[in-house]
Amino acid sequence: MTEVAPIEKQSLEGKRLSFALAEDRLAHYPEFRDFFVRAFDLDRKGLSEPGFVRAPSGNAYALIFIGRSGAPFPSGLEVYAVVDALEPIDGDVLDRDLWSILRWMIGGVGAPWTVEDFDRTGRLYRVPAAAPG
Amino acid sequence: MTIQSDRVLPAALRDRWPYAPHYANVNGWRMHYVDEGEGDPVVLLHGNPTWGFLYRDMIAPLVSSGRRVIVPDMIGFGLSEKPTREQAHCLDGHTANLTALMRQLDLKQITLVCHDWGGPTGLSFAMSNPARVRALTIMSTWAWPMPPAEFHTRIFPWRMMHAPLIGPYLLGNHRALAGRGVYLSVVNREQFARTAQAAYEAVLPDPATRLLTWVWPRWIPLDENAQAFERFKWLEQELSSSKLPSLIIWGREDEVFDAATFANRFKQLLPHAEGPHLVTGRHFLQEDSAPEIARLITSFLDRHDGNGGKR
Repeated sequence: MTEVAPIEKQSLEGKRLSFALAEDRLAHYPEFRDFFVRAFDLDRKGLSEPGFVRAPSGNAYALIFIGRSGAPFPSGLEVYAVVDALEPIDGDVLDRDLWSILRWMIGGVGAPWTVEDFDRTGRLYRVPAAAPG
Repeated sequence: MTIQSDRVLPAALRDRWPYAPHYANVNGWRMHYVDEGEGDPVVLLHGNPTWGFLYRDMIAPLVSSGRRVIVPDMIGFGLSEKPTREQAHCLDGHTANLTALMRQLDLKQITLVCHDWGGPTGLSFAMSNPARVRALTIMSTWAWPMPPAEFHTRIFPWRMMHAPLIGPYLLGNHRALAGRGVYLSVVNREQFARTAQAAYEAVLPDPATRLLTWVWPRWIPLDENAQAFERFKWLEQELSSSKLPSLIIWGREDEVFDAATFANRFKQLLPHAEGPHLVTGRHFLQEDSAPEIARLITSFLDRHDGNGGKR
């Protein structure tokens, strides 16, 4: 469930970016913003290109970083599935992938944030992807 | 655009919310409110993630006691407009939304009934518009910058559930607060699931409509750098010198804003207040004790009116 890793820039030929999730205030807890800066070398790359990750389903996801006047970059983040241009996306697969991406994020953010607490929170609120097994 | 409640609520719940919808434009947003009865106004303020439905069993007894009952839905909740960007929401903006409605209706002699975020917004309105307010009722809320509830300092589950990206996923995509979150914060869960839960879920049908459910938690001050720290400092200072007749009602089983800490701190801020009266209830105490809370409020107001509520 945690096999998520940054990958090289993906070709978007014949593909579309399918909106999956958005965060307007990435630095609400600054360590989350710091994680993405480290993981995608954003202090150097800035807005020049999205970040990409591969999720357990095999799908690639583009992370579009958002800048906001007066706020450290990135201030926001949009997550898109990279899918065949004219094909729908499977909602269950998308949900499991998002769960895995968030789990990977929490692992990267580090203490006091833990994957165990993330899993417990998901189970408390009965998120299907958090179910044991 | 007008959204009629009978189109939004499940059929089985429509007879539990028979009130005619009213709409006002506040700061450019469309705010829904209920306006029933005649007499001095009682304004019932909800918080996160509820709406006026929380007060469904309190409206009739308050109207019967000879009062006009106003129940606004906060912008972002209930049948009010729901902005789709986090930056559309701030504590002062929500107070200004309430102020706009109170002034448009030209309400005076207001009794404010505050719950959850209806506390910081309603009490900020009261402190900045003292000539319009005659009394306060305070339930399961807070009005100071520090310390937060111990629950709000914990990563599991509170800070995790509204953390960056996780909030939009868990509270947006999976409706964690508007669904199971309220369910976990009432005493009679079986009754709540059978008679009320669908009404809270129905008005927040899509992830984007649930934005405020993860934005409000981010406005709870956890340290001196918090977004609303100075506003809460001001609010505590103003309340400490307020002489408004006040009533404190709390859920005996409230685990979020526990009575021993929070109700008693309000009592210290407002030593002339009646209470705290403890009733059956967790954080959403109206779900378990609405008739008793309505009786406490009417009795409190009748005593202050001197001649009963009906005039």
